[in-house]
Amino acid sequence: MTVTPLVPPGAAVRTTLAAAPSFDVEAVLASIETMAAQKPVAAQIVSLANSDDIDARILARTLASDVALAGRVMKLANSAYFGMRGRVTSLQFAVTVVGFTTVRTMATVALTGLDDESRLPEDFWRMSTCVALGAATLAPRFGERPQDALCLGLLAPLGVALLHHGDAHGYAELAAAEPTAAGRRAAEVRRYGVHAYRLTAVALEHWGFPPSMVTPLGAVDDRSSPDGALLRVALEVASRLTVEDHVPVPVEALTAGQLREDAVPPVLDRVRAEADELRLAVLGE
Amino acid sequence: MSATTATAGPLVPPEVVSSVFYGAAVSDTLVLLVAEVVGGTPRITWGNEGATQLLGYGLDDLRSLPVSSLVPSLRGAEVKLLLRRERSARMNLPVRTASGALVEVLVLCTPTPSGRMWTLRLVPVDSDSERALRATADAHEQRFTTLTERSPVPTLLSEQGMRLAHVNDAFCSLVGLQAEQLLGTGWMATVHPDDLDGVIEQVVAVLGGGDGETTARLVRTDGTERTTVIRFSQLFTPGVGAGFVGTIEDITDRLAFEARLAHQANHDPLTGLPNRTLLAEHVAERFRPGTGGLACLFLDLDDFKVVNDSLGHAAGDELLVEVAARLRATVRPGDVVARFGGDEFVVVCEGVDEDDAVALAERIGTALAPPVRLGGVDVRPHASVGVTVQTAEHGDAEELIRDCDIAMYQAKAGGKGRITVLDQQARAQARDKLRLVAELREAIERREITLLYQPIFSAADGTPVAVESLARWHHPLRGPISPVVFVALAEESGLIGGLGLLVLDETCRQLAQWDRLLGAGAPRRANVNVSALQLDEHLHGSVVAALERHGLHPSRLQMEITESALMKDPSSARAVLIQLRDLGVSLAIDDFGTGYSSLAYLRHLPVDCLKVDRSFVAELADGHTEIASAVIALARSLDLSTVAEGVETEEQAARLADLGAGFLQGFDLARPMTGSRTAAWYAAHAR
Repeated sequence: MTVTPLVPPGAAVRTTLAAAPSFDVEAVLASIETMAAQKPVAAQIVSLANSDDIDARILARTLASDVALAGRVMKLANSAYFGMRGRVTSLQFAVTVVGFTTVRTMATVALTGLDDESRLPEDFWRMSTCVALGAATLAPRFGERPQDALCLGLLAPLGVALLHHGDAHGYAELAAAEPTAAGRRAAEVRRYGVHAYRLTAVALEHWGFPPSMVTPLGAVDDRSSPDGALLRVALEVASRLTVEDHVPVPVEALTAGQLREDAVPPVLDRVRAEADELRLAVLGE
Repeated sequence: MSATTATAGPLVPPEVVSSVFYGAAVSDTLVLLVAEVVGGTPRITWGNEGATQLLGYGLDDLRSLPVSSLVPSLRGAEVKLLLRRERSARMNLPVRTASGALVEVLVLCTPTPSGRMWTLRLVPVDSDSERALRATADAHEQRFTTLTERSPVPTLLSEQGMRLAHVNDAFCSLVGLQAEQLLGTGWMATVHPDDLDGVIEQVVAVLGGGDGETTARLVRTDGTERTTVIRFSQLFTPGVGAGFVGTIEDITDRLAFEARLAHQANHDPLTGLPNRTLLAEHVAERFRPGTGGLACLFLDLDDFKVVNDSLGHAAGDELLVEVAARLRATVRPGDVVARFGGDEFVVVCEGVDEDDAVALAERIGTALAPPVRLGGVDVRPHASVGVTVQTAEHGDAEELIRDCDIAMYQAKAGGKGRITVLDQQARAQARDKLRLVAELREAIERREITLLYQPIFSAADGTPVAVESLARWHHPLRGPISPVVFVALAEESGLIGGLGLLVLDETCRQLAQWDRLLGAGAPRRANVNVSALQLDEHLHGSVVAALERHGLHPSRLQMEITESALMKDPSSARAVLIQLRDLGVSLAIDDFGTGYSSLAYLRHLPVDCLKVDRSFVAELADGHTEIASAVIALARSLDLSTVAEGVETEEQAARLADLGAGFLQGFDLARPMTGSRTAAWYAAHAR
């Protein structure tokens, strides 16, 4: 597939970054919209509001114009994750099976170049799929819809990718210096004025994703807020599975006692078992 | 929204601009603020009436308020995310009012073309109506959750494909797992691998719209299986996609109950062996015409009746149970032992030749031989065994079983405890009999059974008083067939009813015709033989109908019933005879003296006449008059008339008259004749 640079060469962003320690968030967001013009089908799907009018037929018809993206949705619908065992043979049915939010999420992934692993931080998708599966698995315990939680998990690290694009070297140093999630977010705010999840929230809100996906991203650092609890614990699950030498943070502390530590091991097993399959399906590999 | 649309074009007159501005400034439903960077810090520089009302600030306090104070959730550089220079932004944010309270609003922020000022429109998102709507939705959701959670019906809820978002406690306890282990695709592991495809097919159909159901086994954690019916309904969430609600009915116990019922319907309750129905199914399933290898052994216990009669039914049952157990223990695995009925058992084997089947029959004989202690008595069970191995001549499974039944009867006829393999001759005989039955049926239907009439005379004056109707069958190929053969055949094969009606109707028709031909000279009465099997509640109606059909008085008929027929079921026979007698039909007991009738019982029967059997008449020639005279004397003492049958000589006739017989019938007096010959005979006799 065509590799589209996230930030066009020679854009103002680089010079700004080089000149100032602070990161021009607005320029990053602007660059995403530039890319939307280059992936019109994905952009169209992302822009379809979460309205009640949208049906699988319309969504499938739009999706059919982007062969690569349609193929990924088909592959995902037939993946072990959805348990349909190859029974999904039409795009419309695939859209029904994976759900509209997931289709939008896949389109967002394509739109923002997240499907090109060569330009992402190391282990980006391993982390993302673990966050996604952790969130989806635990969603019912938090009264959330697993589908939305899965999509939230998949897209949450979008901000990390954006920061990495804009400041690959600086971000790598930052990440190496801050092994804990909370510490890294604090460092991001110090260096860029905004942390990665906040950046994701802004982008998702801009594209009209529902508050149920946007709010947790903003509340991820506020341990007293129940809105961010699911995402916090999903990030912790992902860290335990993907980060070497990760020092586990008790989930009671992350969720204000809503989840107990003994609920975590089965979730870890489930996520470990499904993560690779989901990653391959999302990336269409 | 775009950054450039906010400016009024030069074509808009200044009056309009000021009018719009005035309207916006005083509106209390529209909340508008203007922000700009003052001294490096974004601050509010203007607000309309709606803004002062929502935020509770006086206009002066509002001016110069830092934007970051208004939107406290945007920390540090995050304010930039809202106040963007080249494009509009929209964010859901809490804004802090003068009292310190936070109000959730949607902030729509539009920069001016210069990029130094922004117009912010605040739309409270938490309006009363929205809150009420959300509360209603929450209440619905809560009710639904409570309903499924507490429901005893195991319930699944998927929001995407096969992935479960929810299972209730009833489902968890059905499969013995916790909800966490079942959510997502975890529950699929509980579906039996052979049934999973069927479940997915149904889900595919249901996600496409509509309902569906399938039967699937669920495997519990302890390895046991539950058979269930899963009913699916589509669960469509607008804007999200389609999932399903699945309810599960555990039908394991019901199926077990049905299986028990089916077992009871197909098995003998005493021995637990398959019954005749199941045997027929079993053989039919395995029968391939034109092949071999299927063998049937038909066993009949010898002297079982003796055990039953002497030791009681309980002992008989005990013997049957023991025989069943021995048979089961003796046959090869895969052979079927069935109880055919009474003391009859059938063994069916596959893949055997005649020698194997006979060897098995011998093994069975040996296994049955050891004594069984019943009621303190040692009984040695023996069986007569008929063996049949399937040949190309067997057209269906029934024939195979019938043949081994025939073989068993041959074994029985040859002496007890024998094994007989059905030979070609026996099979041919049996087939021949079947063919004859079919031909008899046709002969009755086509009225090819004819009647001859033999006169009966008064012993006193030699005048003919009646005729006896005698059925005859002249087979087109086999020639005349004896009534002894075809009447017995009709009785065995259920044709006796039709035959009896034919004789009755034809006799009446002939009587009526004689009346027309001969007037007063016609036979006054005809005797019709009635089989034991005709002695039922229909006989009276049949007689009435025949008489009416031909316009005859009941006194024109006499029914002849054999002594043995009367003794089969004396009380019901008596009821039928009383009906006939009340009608005006007279009754005679045929072949009297050959049966074992109770004389006491005879007294209570509504009979008019005894017919002395021909064997006693024949004895007269040898000087033995004892029985004939005793029967005649008995009849007289009971005030009954007598007919002596088989009178072949004048001497016999004279002797019988001396003994007091009222009437005579025999070859010497008059032979059986056709209807027309009888008419001619009567006409000549009258002259």
